[in-house]
Amino acid sequence: MTQMKKKGEIKPVFSDNEVYMDKIYEPKMRKLLRRCYQCARCSGICQLSKVQKFTPSRIIQEILEGFEEKIITSGILNDCLTCNSCLQNCPEDVNFADIVRMARYKMRQRDAQCLDDSIAHKAMYTTISELMSYSHMEPKRDLSWVPKECEISDTGEIMYFVGCQPYFKFEFDELDNVPSDTLKIISKIEDKPIVVRKDESCCGHDLYWGQGKFEAFIDLAKKNYELFERAGVSTIITSCAEGYRTLKVEYSKLFDDFSDKFEVKHVLEYIYEKWKQGEIEFKNPDDKLVDVQFTYHDPCRLNRFLPKESTLIEDIREMFGKLKSLGYSFNEMEHNKKNALCCGVSSWMNCNERSKALRYKRLLEAKAAGTTMVTSCPKCILHFSCLQNDFEDIASIEIKDVSEFFVNLIHKVEKKKEVK
Amino acid sequence: MSKSKKKASKEWEPNIVTFCCNWCSYAGADLAGVSRFQYPPNIRIIRVMCSGRVDPTFLLKALKDGADGVLLSGCHIGDCHYISGNEYTDERFKKLHKIIIKQLGIDEKRVRLEWVSASEGKRWSEVVTEFTNQIKKLGPFKKSN
Repeated sequence: MTQMKKKGEIKPVFSDNEVYMDKIYEPKMRKLLRRCYQCARCSGICQLSKVQKFTPSRIIQEILEGFEEKIITSGILNDCLTCNSCLQNCPEDVNFADIVRMARYKMRQRDAQCLDDSIAHKAMYTTISELMSYSHMEPKRDLSWVPKECEISDTGEIMYFVGCQPYFKFEFDELDNVPSDTLKIISKIEDKPIVVRKDESCCGHDLYWGQGKFEAFIDLAKKNYELFERAGVSTIITSCAEGYRTLKVEYSKLFDDFSDKFEVKHVLEYIYEKWKQGEIEFKNPDDKLVDVQFTYHDPCRLNRFLPKESTLIEDIREMFGKLKSLGYSFNEMEHNKKNALCCGVSSWMNCNERSKALRYKRLLEAKAAGTTMVTSCPKCILHFSCLQNDFEDIASIEIKDVSEFFVNLIHKVEKKKEVK
Repeated sequence: MSKSKKKASKEWEPNIVTFCCNWCSYAGADLAGVSRFQYPPNIRIIRVMCSGRVDPTFLLKALKDGADGVLLSGCHIGDCHYISGNEYTDERFKKLHKIIIKQLGIDEKRVRLEWVSASEGKRWSEVVTEFTNQIKKLGPFKKSN
């Protein structure tokens, strides 16, 4: 008994957490599914169904007919990639990925299925996220990656939200250049020092989508919201597709005034805007022509998960088309834009032979399209380059982040009008 | 039993999770017991076959779920029953400290790696006493509650 009481004491109790919880969680899943009329397009388009037995339409029908308990205890929803291809093709806008997210929360609550078994890397990175959600934790990030020519400060207008990339160094070294290159791009364009915080927490994407730990997600969101206010920022730039989605959509769901106070931009979106405004131009470093065939992998968070009015997918293709004069010719993969295939892992869930098959398929498409694959999601880079160690035929593809790709091409246009 | 619990509620006592390798450190702790060396009762020993079995995640999860300190103990370098298991542990542990523990803002003293062999019962009791005192000085990991 005494032990039980002690356990209860450790858990932080916030009175307003229930208010936030209502915004992101609907306990009655059937309410969200009533519109479904079993056209089964979701099962047809589902990328996972190509490699294993997984039929979203059937799962929806079973929940509607009252077999929710069975679905939750069977743990089948752990396999979902939450890539959102089903929502893309749904005539009634039934958000299956949201259902999966809520079902995973229910699994956690009931201990029906141990989710930890299906988390990749023994849940290392999600444990880090959870640790950061505690109120007494104050991360002290190592900022030695900041390039010497870039000025950073603690408060200011424009912030670079680094995300979890420094922690990934524990096992991967593919992402070493991404934060520094992104910061180089931003400080090339902006005159003022960029805000990079030492005490920045994780955005909570993986806890929200994959692990079903909404309480920890809310704590993280609150922590970050306070941090942004303390730093006095108005624009937040991120180089991570998952962080972008979480800050832009999920945080504005939680906090009503988030979207008014802060403008969230992905670095790709930022480059496009500045290019359209004529502030930057693309030039090869030594004005030498190169011959590179490259392709772009659309990460799901910067593609099907974008708000419907967003034109980002077409915009970046316009920008890529212009690079042809420099010798970078852009080729589309077989599946592109909204139909792009998933990298096979989301929120560190399920790295297994099935998801590896999906990744292999995607890399074969990339190989057919060019020698370099550019993408805007750091985790996609990790998952793809991890698979490259296993297969020799796809090892030749160079996988690059957008920041690594653009860092040497971007040049600021000097304002000549003022001189006149 | 009940008396000791009542005492614990009055004064804060740290919870320390200890991972011991089966061949050296666990036997060393055994020897400490047999030879009646005294050490604080705050540690909970988890026996693993080799210190190389301990994934860095285990250490983080222990801290996450309420431990105030984590001690990982194995054979001395070169003495590993599985030839090179503890060398991997050493390498992983250094990386964990440098990249994760430090960047998370956790005090580095809370997570420690020690080599204790089967004959070092005395040393085991010294290590545990010293580590427990250190954690007591640092205070509870979850200060807010």
